[in-house]
Amino acid sequence: MLRQAAISGVLLLLALGASARTRPHYGGTLRIEVHGDAWAPDGLARRLVLDGLTDLSDTGAAEPALAVQWSQTNHDQRWDFRLRPWVRFQDDTPFNAEAVVASFTTMCANSASPDATNAAQETQCPWSAVYAAGPLEIVFTTATPSPDFPELLAQTRFAISKKASSGVLEGTGPFQVSGFANGALTLTAYADCWHGRPFLDSVEIVQHRSQRDQWLDLSVGRADIVEVPPELLRQAREQHMNVLVSGPVDLLALTIPAQGVFQDTAMRQSAALAVDRAALYNVIFQKQGEITASLLPQKVSGYAFLFATDRDLNRARAMRGGAFPTPLRMGAEPGGATMRLAGERLALNLHEAGFNARMVAPGKPTAMDLQLIHLGETAPRAALDEMLAAFGLNATVNGTGAQALWQAESSALKSNTVVPLLWLPRAWAIGERVRDIRLSPDGEPLLAEASLEGAK
Amino acid sequence: MTLRQKLLLTFSLTVVGIVAAVAWTISLRVRRVFDELHHEQTSALVSQFQREFDQSAADTSAALDRTASSDALQRIAFELANGGDTAQYLNTAAGLAREYQLDDLELVAHDGSIISSAQWPARFGYKEPVILSAGKPAFLKEENLPDGSSEIGIFAVRAVEKSNPPIYLVGGRNLNANTLRDFPVSAGTRVFLYRNLSAGFSLGNFTGASQTSGSPQPYQQLVDQARTTGQNAEAVVYPTPHREDSVNATAIPLKGANGNVLAVLVVANSRRGMVEVQNHIRSIAYGAAGLGILFAIAASLWIAARVSRPIEQLARAAGEVAAGNWDTSVEVSGRDELGVLAGSFNHMTGQLVEQRDRLVQSERVAAWRELARRLAHELKNPLFPLQITVENMVRARALPQQEFDEVFNESTATLRAEIDNLKVIIGRFSDFSKMPKPQMEPMDARDAIRRVASLYEPALKEKHIELRTTVDSGQLPISADAELLHRALSNLVLNAMDAMPDGGTLVIAAARAGDAARLSVSDSGAGLTPEECSRLFTPYYTTRQHGTGLGLAIVQSVIADHHGTIAAESGENGGARFVIELPLAAEGQSA
Repeated sequence: MLRQAAISGVLLLLALGASARTRPHYGGTLRIEVHGDAWAPDGLARRLVLDGLTDLSDTGAAEPALAVQWSQTNHDQRWDFRLRPWVRFQDDTPFNAEAVVASFTTMCANSASPDATNAAQETQCPWSAVYAAGPLEIVFTTATPSPDFPELLAQTRFAISKKASSGVLEGTGPFQVSGFANGALTLTAYADCWHGRPFLDSVEIVQHRSQRDQWLDLSVGRADIVEVPPELLRQAREQHMNVLVSGPVDLLALTIPAQGVFQDTAMRQSAALAVDRAALYNVIFQKQGEITASLLPQKVSGYAFLFATDRDLNRARAMRGGAFPTPLRMGAEPGGATMRLAGERLALNLHEAGFNARMVAPGKPTAMDLQLIHLGETAPRAALDEMLAAFGLNATVNGTGAQALWQAESSALKSNTVVPLLWLPRAWAIGERVRDIRLSPDGEPLLAEASLEGAK
Repeated sequence: MTLRQKLLLTFSLTVVGIVAAVAWTISLRVRRVFDELHHEQTSALVSQFQREFDQSAADTSAALDRTASSDALQRIAFELANGGDTAQYLNTAAGLAREYQLDDLELVAHDGSIISSAQWPARFGYKEPVILSAGKPAFLKEENLPDGSSEIGIFAVRAVEKSNPPIYLVGGRNLNANTLRDFPVSAGTRVFLYRNLSAGFSLGNFTGASQTSGSPQPYQQLVDQARTTGQNAEAVVYPTPHREDSVNATAIPLKGANGNVLAVLVVANSRRGMVEVQNHIRSIAYGAAGLGILFAIAASLWIAARVSRPIEQLARAAGEVAAGNWDTSVEVSGRDELGVLAGSFNHMTGQLVEQRDRLVQSERVAAWRELARRLAHELKNPLFPLQITVENMVRARALPQQEFDEVFNESTATLRAEIDNLKVIIGRFSDFSKMPKPQMEPMDARDAIRRVASLYEPALKEKHIELRTTVDSGQLPISADAELLHRALSNLVLNAMDAMPDGGTLVIAAARAGDAARLSVSDSGAGLTPEECSRLFTPYYTTRQHGTGLGLAIVQSVIADHHGTIAAESGENGGARFVIELPLAAEGQSA
């Protein structure tokens, strides 16, 4: 009996120990390295410091964040949001309707300014007016019906911020900016965050780090989370790295403005028919993501397969009507070796169809561009609106059903000014000590929920 | 041009010609030497380039062999042979190219499709036909690049062993400025490479070993010749306007496996040394020519002193002799040919003077004899009647007084007449001896003709002689003694009247004949024989029964005193014609 009790006690202690190892620990500094700018509109740092009025669920539906409830009137053209009470900014100033309106007003003013940065200009404000209807109530009015307005506000670029006296942007997110040195941005945990203190004491974000250095730092323990580009995902797996992969969130597309040689629709259609998506998918991007001719991933829209992706070189040549000797410059945004390689491959494809296309260095005028557009939304209607806005396409969406969306997208793509090529995922390699990390629907790591093993 | 000037010119030209010929010969020889040197250097460089090319080809082949036999590639070949995905090797070629120091490298599947390309990664999947050259020696090949440019490189193709189906490696090293820098060229020699990547000549495809190799423009024609003909081309190229910067350039076409000219190697040897030597030679030649000309002047002066001066003296003396001064002699300065010539000249003039004196003496004697004969003849004619008359008078003394008186009167009349005749004869001789010196005055020769015509026109009419006078409309200014000229013309007219006792035609004319005034008197009489024409003007020669033979001599004397000439000739229609030519006076001296 005693022996059985002793054995049971040992097993209980072992079980408690095991339970203690899996439970998140507070503390520690997580180091994450990125190739880009952490303060970009959809950058990682902005997500950690700022919150939006709404957030997206795993299904892409809007869920409460800084706004606890909302309603629409006037056929989706007026949206009333009730703000979360008792929230304070990281500088301990109160979060209220006045601060929200100020944030949105500053955001729209910056985006409209001729001196605005590219990032600010990308923040096109989808409302015609915003004003406070009470201490915790704000009202948006839009020029056109916006049924997916709450989902739209969940995008990082519409996160609420205020500029502190020190010039640093303050938000209501789980982390606040505490320093920037040697290319590393340091964020520390905001203990009074409205949705609770994060497990991590701080996050160190090293910006503009090369891919090679990121992987090297991860391998030697100098980094906890690093990026894994789609074309290296296969290699990362072969190296048995712990990789988190999102769904398709980045659209690789060829944009062909209707000007110059491509003012003729047939020329654009010829170029669209000449591109070899399979070569991009199979070789350059190592079979990651999905081949597409749609503005939305198949998983989001459900109808992406209806858009033909096959290459038809003969038809492209026929529409082209002979070789075109004038050099056509092609750019790639963002830059980078893989984008350039993809661009050169497309130039070869176009050359076969009779176009004399050449990749040029960034900054030079181009006749066509290879672009990688990030998709933040996951709800079909909102996602389509986001992509249409991103490419500057005009289409009227009459409804929220798949057929209405397909018709709108078909109409938008009919001009062939945008040729979708591939949907690519985002992936991150995770260090061994990182726990409870997962990715947001648009592929960014959710660090507020993460913890470090061994942290005290 | 004098003999001295001719000598100076001849000597100068000879010296300059010799100096120029020597300088040209030396310069030509120098040029040939430098040309030979250029050819030797070019040949050496071409050989060196061939060795470098062979070495580079061998290095490329060796690098490819090492790459093909590397574990990594063996593993790739194995995996591909067992159905491995080629996509995962997209960037393999770039890594291998860096590792094995190749500029270009491609992994090619057995069907010719590119698996991985270091120089153009996006070309995966496209065909690379060059794998047919697998195992062959390295070759030149043009490689296209994604930015639209091209490179020329030494390429080789290797199959990876132990893989079935095989995979191939196509790799190479580019020919560019770095290649040229490896060339061990001597000072003054430059090497360029033109990559024949476009239809026309492109400046951007011309590269030298350094950035300061200068403009490629001067080499364009040479390069074009080599790349269009496929043969070596040589030329002298002037990169700058300065001749010292010119180069002897040879363009050597470099051909690919299919015989196309893919590049042109240009070897340029500086001509500065040669040009400097040529300039030096030219300077020396100028100096030598200058000295030669000075020497020629000195030599010509010396030779003139030795040769031309005696000749000039001889020439002057000959001129004086020709002018009638036969007493001229020259200095005999030596025993050479010129001395002999001078002696002979002096001897000749001496002989001439002596002969002239003898001739004058003999002429004088002859003249006196002629004079004596003529005087005897002239005087004998009146003397004979005188003798007869005197003898008649002596015989008449025996006659009765009356008859004697008749004879006496007749005889005294005859004596008086003959004595008058003797006076006339003596007066004529006296006139001839007292020819006055002409008093020259400007006059018109036509006036002399008109005066004679008007004077004798009535007498000619009486003798039934028709007078025709022909004078030019223009003036015939002469300088003459009008009276003497009138007497001369009158003499000729009187002679003509005597020649036409039964009447006839007398033509007197005045006309311009070049620089002379030609006066002529023609009759239609019996005419003259050639002997008479040649002797007419000899004093005391006459064809008439009672002429003294002094008339035409006086005429010739008058004409000679007027620096003119007179000639007698037979007329075209018979008769005689006397032609006088007198020099026309200058314009300022006209009448």
